[in-house]
Amino acid sequence: MPILQHFCETLYHSGFGTMLRESNNAFSVIESVHVLSITLLIGTIAVLDFRMLGLILRSIAVSSVARSVMPLTWSGFAVSVMSGFLLFWAEAEKMYVNPSFRAKLVLLALAGINALVFHRTIYRRAQEWERQHVSPWRARATAFASLMLWSGVIIAGRAIAYF
Amino acid sequence: MGLHGSFMALAHSPLGHAMQTSRWAFAVVEMVHLLGLAVLGGSVLIVDLRLLGVILKGESAITISRELSRLLIGSLLVMVLSGIALLSEEAGKCYYSPAFRWKMALLAAAVIFYFTLHRQAILCTRRGTLKLWPRIAALVSLLLWLGVGVAGRAIGLL
Repeated sequence: MPILQHFCETLYHSGFGTMLRESNNAFSVIESVHVLSITLLIGTIAVLDFRMLGLILRSIAVSSVARSVMPLTWSGFAVSVMSGFLLFWAEAEKMYVNPSFRAKLVLLALAGINALVFHRTIYRRAQEWERQHVSPWRARATAFASLMLWSGVIIAGRAIAYF
Repeated sequence: MGLHGSFMALAHSPLGHAMQTSRWAFAVVEMVHLLGLAVLGGSVLIVDLRLLGVILKGESAITISRELSRLLIGSLLVMVLSGIALLSEEAGKCYYSPAFRWKMALLAAAVIFYFTLHRQAILCTRRGTLKLWPRIAALVSLLLWLGVGVAGRAIGLL
């Protein structure tokens, strides 16, 4: 058996995983935290994306918006990952074979890469374009990709229950 | 037609039938509802955190609120429309669900608050000195919207 699958089965059958899965309230509460955390994680980054697309907050420099948004997004990411990991732990064996869960992780990784590339390249020279109402095409492409990828994460996440 | 009658009318409407018979309609509409939630939540967070003086302190709260109002109202509209579609699929269950009734009450409160006292509080910031009322309004707003979200989750769980 592949080592990853073995790991998932170990988590699933563990005492903690079983307790979470069979709990009356714990799983539901963690799941609710996970779902509501999309506002903090994705909703805030969407505001930055819409700014770069020139749709909102045009009078405010992109880096000002980013400086305010990024800590919120990272907080949301922390909450999402922690709650998500617990949800995964409870259902690990099933998640291993769930195509929607796999798709969600891939989209999540792509969203991260998109952000990383942006911060290492075009955002380095932000002072040149941050005051423009509409950002340069590379920033807009990043913003559009970000919106698409994070929407995909939400959609794939919801679809997990249907597989 | 009473309230229960209205719920039943929605369930028996073409929308209701479409939602109840289709295998994927509910899932898709629910996804749209979640996408709306993300954007609505993000807008509310940015506006209210500014009112609390946590972010974008150098920028006008009035400007930020105005600039995000279209996004906020637009995403709210998406949530209401998708919400009606979701309701049409399980109108009976929702009618008798305490969580659903709480959600609708909190939603009404949040929306009314947004267009009245919250708006007043934002305009207060123009004078720059009185910081307490905008902060209280921001906290009330955040709590109301959080309540809507939690109650919404409770519909499916209770």
